[in-house]
Amino acid sequence: MHRDLALGGTMLALSAGYYWMAAAIPTSQLADAVGPQGLPRVYALLLGVVSLALIVTALRKRTQMPTTPGASDARPTDSAGSRPPVIRPTSPLWRVAGMLAIGVVYILVAPWLGYLFSIAAVILATVYYQGGALGRQAGAVALSGGIVLWLLFVVLMRVAQPPGWWPPLP
Amino acid sequence: MIGAFTAIVTTAIGPAAFAGVAWGILGGALPGISPSIAMALLLPFTYGMDPTIAIVLLASTYVGAEYGGSIPAILIRTPGTNAAAATVVDGYAMKEQGKAGEALGISLYSGVLGGMVGLVVLVLLTEPLSRVALAFTPAAYFALGVLGLSVIASVSGASLTKGLMAALLGLMIATVGTDPVSGVNRFTFGSPELLSGIPPILVMVGLFAVGELLAQAGEPGWQQAASGAARIRFPGSAMRKRIARPQAIGSVMGVFEGVMPGAGGTISAFLAYNEARRWSSHKKEFGHGSPEGIAAPEAANNTVACTALVPLLSLGIPGSNSSAILLGGFLIHGLIPGPTLFVNHPDIVNGLYTGLLAANLSLLVLGFVFMIPCLWLVNRPKPYLMAFVYAFVLSGVYAIEGSLFHVGVAIGFGPVGYAMRYFTVPFLPMVLGVVLGFMVESNYRRALVLASGDHMTFLQDSISAGLLGLAFVFVAGSAVRHGVDAIRRRRLARAAV
Repeated sequence: MHRDLALGGTMLALSAGYYWMAAAIPTSQLADAVGPQGLPRVYALLLGVVSLALIVTALRKRTQMPTTPGASDARPTDSAGSRPPVIRPTSPLWRVAGMLAIGVVYILVAPWLGYLFSIAAVILATVYYQGGALGRQAGAVALSGGIVLWLLFVVLMRVAQPPGWWPPLP
Repeated sequence: MIGAFTAIVTTAIGPAAFAGVAWGILGGALPGISPSIAMALLLPFTYGMDPTIAIVLLASTYVGAEYGGSIPAILIRTPGTNAAAATVVDGYAMKEQGKAGEALGISLYSGVLGGMVGLVVLVLLTEPLSRVALAFTPAAYFALGVLGLSVIASVSGASLTKGLMAALLGLMIATVGTDPVSGVNRFTFGSPELLSGIPPILVMVGLFAVGELLAQAGEPGWQQAASGAARIRFPGSAMRKRIARPQAIGSVMGVFEGVMPGAGGTISAFLAYNEARRWSSHKKEFGHGSPEGIAAPEAANNTVACTALVPLLSLGIPGSNSSAILLGGFLIHGLIPGPTLFVNHPDIVNGLYTGLLAANLSLLVLGFVFMIPCLWLVNRPKPYLMAFVYAFVLSGVYAIEGSLFHVGVAIGFGPVGYAMRYFTVPFLPMVLGVVLGFMVESNYRRALVLASGDHMTFLQDSISAGLLGLAFVFVAGSAVRHGVDAIRRRRLARAAV
């Protein structure tokens, strides 16, 4: 129930912020009767209503819920049937943040280091971060993975990837 | 038919179809390489080819890519194409249960069957069905989008409120970019990269793939798939019987959506999923690894791969990005699709039909061949698997428009997906909102401009009124079902106390 309350509150704030931004969209001489602000405002209002409904439902459930020990531990499944991750005090969130950081560093580094080495570094960093041992095997897999992906995307499919500061290959 | 088989064996049509399907599966299986991108990459190579072979090569790539999108959807929870988004839910759930081989077998079998149905429809009904497409007005397209959105209630899982929340978030994301009528920039924050909006594939890759990577990173306990998952399994007779109905539903949806320019495989896959669930005697299994939940959308989007050519061949109207690339293939060789094509170049049309038959037969063989290394790959140790999924996601997303900004957007949707799991908010309504948002808004406003602001235009247009009526029936049916489920849950809770 606390989660639903938190979700409802967050979405309510989001809807208010979105409405404010939608209202600030400039009008145009070419605009139709609905205008560029029309549907965004409607979406924001609807999200506000739905968020309030979730908050009210959560509050009602909280007052009706029997105080059975352990009842709050029940984790419902989502539509895909998978259980939501349990957020433990620190470590899982840090691990999640670390995975995101690997992606962000790739974005920052790839324009300079180039695709092949950057993607090999992503593979190596992720393997290490996920508990794999850093050694010859991991290094070889990362480098060969980088080469295979470069061959696949750049050479075979002719899809451009960040070239980096390296001179172009013939 | 005998002539077609002879042509496949004795001419270059067979090898061209085989090569096109192989290329398409590879492209579709890579997140970020859409069917149209895979086809566009081939386009320059078709200049010097015989026109029939060139067209067959491109059309077969489309067939292969529509199927290929389901491979990462099932194995790594990442739809390779927009149309494969509906396959993610039950496909990945089956993979988690150690039934990846069975899920892929159902997907392949349903895809081939859908493709064959689509081919028959293409050959027999191209001319009469094209009249339906011509009758579509902006009001009808708006109603079509609303019909697509009406399945939100069915894909919302236990909480309709959270499903609506997700759908509204999706619709909000779809408003980012240049306004479709006035040209005003909305929610772009001065960024030129956002002027053309946020491509739905970025949202899907972020929610499903990056979100899954983050969730896996947060859960150290890793259950590797059972060894049985390493074997591909085609559906047995009992399973074939069970999935026959969802396949038929998917094929009908694929025909319906394919002949309408702009509708595409995504809407048909979601509608097919919704209807398969409605008519299933195993409703509770949907969302938790239902074979029917794979069969229906896969049959639908592979049917569309053929029926989407109906408006192109008969009217010269490319209804999707992929058929626009195919139109480019026709134009390169001095061919103009439309009624005159059947009169002036019947050999090209017959060659295309033969090529599509060969493509669907090739799909059966190549789908099997591709699955074996794919299944082997997903059974590697967790750190290596996650590393390669991450590398594929980063590479695939960059490939869409060569933009690291897009890579950042996809990564940015990862925490959103992670939070949605935490708060048990379903993904699919959001995907529907993102995919259909632009279509709904632009056609709603265009229809009103044409009708001088009169909302009755949506009821005066017979196709629009019919589609809106159908959407109302869908929503009402789902609302009643949710209400009945809620009452049942309340009674069970009271009985437990």
